[in-house]
Amino acid sequence: MAELTQNEKRLLATLEKEQKADAEHLASVMGATKEAVVQWANLAGDKGLAGVERIVEKTFVYTDEGKAYLKNGLPETQLLRFVLPGTQLADLQKHDVFKIGFGQLRKKGLVNVEGTSVTKTPGTSTDADEAALKNPSASDPKTKDLIKRGILQESEAVRYVISATPEGRALAAQGLDLREETGTLTREQILSGAWKTANLRKYDVSKLPKKTYPGKIHPYQRIIGEMREILLEMGFTELYGDIVQQSFWNFDALFQPQDHPAREMQDTFYLNETLPLPEGYEKVKAMHISGGDTSSTGWGGIWKEEKAEQCVLRTHTTSLSIQYLAQHPNPPVKAFAVGRVYRRETIDTTHLAEFEQLEGIVMDENVTFGNLLGTLREFYNRMGFESVRFKPSFYPYTEPSLDAEVYVDGIGWIEMGGAGVFREEVTAPLGIKYPVLAWGLGVSRIAMLRLGLKDLRLLHKSDVAFLRETPSLRPTKGGI
Amino acid sequence: MAVITLPYKYLERLTRTDRKTILEKVPLIGSDVERIEEDHADVEFFPDRPDLFSPEGVARAMRGYLGIETGLPSYPVKPSGIKFTVDPQLAEIRPVLGAAVIRGVKFDDESIQSIMSLQESLHWAVGRGRSKVAIGIHDMDTVRPPFHYIASPRSRGFIPLDFTEKMTMDEILEKHPKGRDYAKIVKDFPLFPLIVDDDDHVLSFPPIINGERTRVTIDTKNILLDTTGTDKRAVSVAVNIICTAMAEAGATIESVEIGGVQTPTLAPAERIISVSECSRILGVDLTPASMAGLLRRMRFSAEPAGADKVKVLVPCYRADIMHDWDIFEDVAIAYGYDKLESQPPRTFTVGKPHPVQVNAVIAREIFTGLGYLEVMPFTLTNEEVLYKRMQRPETNGVLHVMHPISIENTVVRTELLPLLLEFLTINRHRELPQRLFTVGDVVLDCRTHQQAAGVSTHPDADFSEAYATADAVLHELSIDYTIRESADPAFIDGRRGDIMVTGKKIGVFGEIHPAVLLAFELEHSVAAFEFDLRAVPGYPAL
Repeated sequence: MAELTQNEKRLLATLEKEQKADAEHLASVMGATKEAVVQWANLAGDKGLAGVERIVEKTFVYTDEGKAYLKNGLPETQLLRFVLPGTQLADLQKHDVFKIGFGQLRKKGLVNVEGTSVTKTPGTSTDADEAALKNPSASDPKTKDLIKRGILQESEAVRYVISATPEGRALAAQGLDLREETGTLTREQILSGAWKTANLRKYDVSKLPKKTYPGKIHPYQRIIGEMREILLEMGFTELYGDIVQQSFWNFDALFQPQDHPAREMQDTFYLNETLPLPEGYEKVKAMHISGGDTSSTGWGGIWKEEKAEQCVLRTHTTSLSIQYLAQHPNPPVKAFAVGRVYRRETIDTTHLAEFEQLEGIVMDENVTFGNLLGTLREFYNRMGFESVRFKPSFYPYTEPSLDAEVYVDGIGWIEMGGAGVFREEVTAPLGIKYPVLAWGLGVSRIAMLRLGLKDLRLLHKSDVAFLRETPSLRPTKGGI
Repeated sequence: MAVITLPYKYLERLTRTDRKTILEKVPLIGSDVERIEEDHADVEFFPDRPDLFSPEGVARAMRGYLGIETGLPSYPVKPSGIKFTVDPQLAEIRPVLGAAVIRGVKFDDESIQSIMSLQESLHWAVGRGRSKVAIGIHDMDTVRPPFHYIASPRSRGFIPLDFTEKMTMDEILEKHPKGRDYAKIVKDFPLFPLIVDDDDHVLSFPPIINGERTRVTIDTKNILLDTTGTDKRAVSVAVNIICTAMAEAGATIESVEIGGVQTPTLAPAERIISVSECSRILGVDLTPASMAGLLRRMRFSAEPAGADKVKVLVPCYRADIMHDWDIFEDVAIAYGYDKLESQPPRTFTVGKPHPVQVNAVIAREIFTGLGYLEVMPFTLTNEEVLYKRMQRPETNGVLHVMHPISIENTVVRTELLPLLLEFLTINRHRELPQRLFTVGDVVLDCRTHQQAAGVSTHPDADFSEAYATADAVLHELSIDYTIRESADPAFIDGRRGDIMVTGKKIGVFGEIHPAVLLAFELEHSVAAFEFDLRAVPGYPAL
């Protein structure tokens, strides 16, 4: 049985003497309010120890008018006193109570009016009315009449009769610990040793606590953090950089032709701003036009400086990787970035105009396409995806290219991201002499799978309830 | 991405094997099987391989990959004796012309459909929406050579495809559906490109529409192909892809004379490639012979040429082969991605986090320690949220995107606090107190840096809470600050402070102004603060 509170114990002890009593009476005995006693009785009642009987009683109270009549008599009684043999109507009209009183006398047939003279009806009186005024009763029709006349008001009074059940009495008979309970221990009680004898209140563990919500990291941020940690563990250097990029670094340096559809206004967010081209941009230009000093043919056609100068919101974090490589052309380089990227897409449940991309690069003397596959396999394995496979794909700035797929129970093979070896057209103008392995993946795809989201927008316009309910430690199985 | 319809019967006949084998293996050459239907499959191919945009092209590649027929496919071309003249006035309009005669075609509904959809896919992938390349296919027996590619007055009229009445070219741009779609490519030129025969019959108004006269039907036997554009290489690739696809279907190809040159030749391009370089890139031990064998399965001609070289002839339809490494990818595909040894690189390196992200991680830790819940608002927002509701003037250096998708996303955020207030709006009906924070990028004048902001809302949220929380966060980040009275209109006068570091304002805190609360449809007071993380000692210069 759940623990009794101190007050429930006191109530049961009191009932041991009183047996059955009004809440009001118990309240005065226990020195508490009536409401508190009823509450304790209900708590004890939930445990089968006490009974609470709710009795509704009608009572009558006097209006101010009624209070005056109680003292002076009803208006008809008062007026009747003046009806003597030979009394004229005009005599009665002098009295204050004439208007109400005379009407009542006529209505009740207590007087007879003949011409201008008024006489008592023999054998009648207002005694019964006065009695009804003094002792109103719900069953008396005269009481109803008095209510109608605004002399009495009806009101409902609720009374609680409280008794102990046999179990309650038995418990009380065993003796109850009625010492005062201690809720929160005070510093005094702890230091003085009073805690040794204090009656520490025992709490009902079956009752849920009031919810409290910790401050915490966004569940999506946790997934980003997990990926970051894996790559740091794998020996990668983290990159961070500008959201606004010159088209040169976002497209041209990655050998994306200037007339490529991805560079059109309907796919990329362009800005009015321009930035001057970096030193040595001519090598990139030559690569586009003719393939520079490599075995490439280049794209042919024309290459315009103005197009390369225009700023965009980065469409991939590869713009950071390529600048980092330009600054660090000597091997080995292992770097990664997780950052917001922008595509001019119509926003719906599975498409956002901005989303996180994870991007990694490896540059070293003897790295191979096989090493790229190995790096990806390692990364996805560490994310919990046990089965990983690769298939040919196409990206404008990598050759050979691949797509990585992971197997998810209940869903099947899911495409996770693209990868490849940077084309020589990308690396040669920057003076990079060794192969660069590069890969990217959409972080939100994993987040959607793991968090069971049906609408990607909820990552960024989140319901606080969702954030509060999603545990910080979410066990994953098979990567999700 | 191009999704190609592959009718099983036609594909099986061309590939000389069963559909099951084809569908199982086709992803391994670079494709995604989108749908498998009763009589056909829809398969998506990558934009760098327009030669696979037809059942004929897919069959050719699959015969090689499956070892049914390897090496360079041969496409003999003999001269047709037909000439094309080119008007020099086209030099500034649409200078490049490619053409071919395709004889002995045997059309049925499926093969007409296939050639039409190849044409459309090429318009998209190679032609950049017809601006770079546009292709016309004509029933040659309805016209009389020689043919003339001319710059014509815009008032010239002819009956365009799918119409019965003569229209001027200007009218076509206005009234014909294709005219409206592609008008922007030519509308600014004084003269329009036009192809006519020797009797002045119109074959086509490139890149807009063909004439009705030369419509290709199921009874067409001989085809004249015209391809016009602005880029020589792209035009030539389109001609080669169509001619070789038709040749695969059984037609014979004849060249035409343009400016004294016979075209097309459908001749392969030669490349001598290094075996050791390929081995090094892929991580596979190859010999000239093994590499040549793999390449023949990808329909190259390949012969060992010395200890480290392979002489490769690249088929004329392979638009994607720009560089030796493009051929290495074909070696890898023929070898099989699943057979490549996948090992992470052996080089030892030490992981190193970026200091900005290290700071962000610590800032998040401090906020969560104070009971704040992290949110991650979008970085694209609008002036209404950032400034108007905040009663603040527009920040200098805010970036407006040129073509926003909606009025919701017109600028890149310059502050974080307004986005947190917007977050409180979204969560108005959720239990209080709500304490939210965010740490993230903002952009000013094209430069990105990080800020942090926090809000607390509940009936007792006030200045003291904002001050105490801001103080705790700043202290934990070792930001040595002073406070002066603020004039920020987003906060209540007398309940706001500017956070100063070495005489410079780096942030603000206080009790949000009731007018701002109402603008965000909030009912309870909000204690808030925001500051620039560049104030953290050691924040790196980007």
